[in-house]
Amino acid sequence: MASDPPPEQPPAKKPGVGVKIARGVGEVLVTLGIVILLFVFYVLYVTNWMSAGKQAEATDKLDDKWRNERALNPEPLAGESFARLYIPSFGVDYKYAIQEGTGTESLDLGPGHYTGTAMPGEPGNFAIAGHRDGKGAPFNDLDLLESCDSIIAETADSFYVYRVLPKKEEVGHWANGPGKRPLCGKVQPLRAPDAPDGGLYGDTYGQEIVDPSQGEVINPIPNRPEDAAPPAQQAALLTLTTCHPRFSDRERLIIHAVLVKQYAKAEGKSGELPKEMTEAQG
Amino acid sequence: MYAWIWRHLPGPLAVRVLTAIVLIAGVIALLMFVIFPAIEPSLPFNQVTTE
Repeated sequence: MASDPPPEQPPAKKPGVGVKIARGVGEVLVTLGIVILLFVFYVLYVTNWMSAGKQAEATDKLDDKWRNERALNPEPLAGESFARLYIPSFGVDYKYAIQEGTGTESLDLGPGHYTGTAMPGEPGNFAIAGHRDGKGAPFNDLDLLESCDSIIAETADSFYVYRVLPKKEEVGHWANGPGKRPLCGKVQPLRAPDAPDGGLYGDTYGQEIVDPSQGEVINPIPNRPEDAAPPAQQAALLTLTTCHPRFSDRERLIIHAVLVKQYAKAEGKSGELPKEMTEAQG
Repeated sequence: MYAWIWRHLPGPLAVRVLTAIVLIAGVIALLMFVIFPAIEPSLPFNQVTTE
């Protein structure tokens, strides 16, 4: 950024005030341009490096916790890691520790659990938010998830396999078309076909794009009042939220998945992984 | 501005070049670790939750 040293002999004519001002303004503008480029670099790369470090730390802590205390702590503290998220169609190495809470401190580390929503495996809605750009961008490719793709949550004692629900345009011909794929064996639209509004789960599809103010998507029954049904009648869902479109906060991209299977971890054998973990859908 | 700073750096050329590099590194570090993290939360694409 430093300019060349001044020439040895003084210039023939000293620059006037106007020239000096123009030069000063020019230098300030060039500097601002460089600062903005640095900021772009920071957002796209530096935040990823910082988050990767924090996420690795959180993963280690989680491993330690699970190794040392088998007893479940049902209410994790804010910012504490309590589960792990796998999305096999994003690659076998896709795994993130999930933190409690959706504040900046939680989301800087990785995906964050909406406090007050269900925990993994429980009836209701296990809802998680994550960054789509920068900060490790765990939910960068959420728009690429297809119906029936598996999303796996691991807790201290179990694996919970969720699968993305049918998308809105697939529901009509689900049984004859998309639902016949091998992965979709246990995935059915949750709509009640007889009810005009589709029943309790009439507005629950695999993917939706909503306004940021639509907090109802993380309700126990998405897009229905909090007390629409007692827990006994609620399906066990998982919901992922992130920003949409990329690099914008205009809308939110929402993914809903339903619990299809649950594996208890064998005592002392944490290396055993469910077979869904290795599936990768094209 | 930069010419003015350069003229006011003390010492021989090598020392001045070193000082200049340290100054630039300091400014970049200040931006990366203090200023950018402070303004970053107000970026639109950090809003990933519903209200």
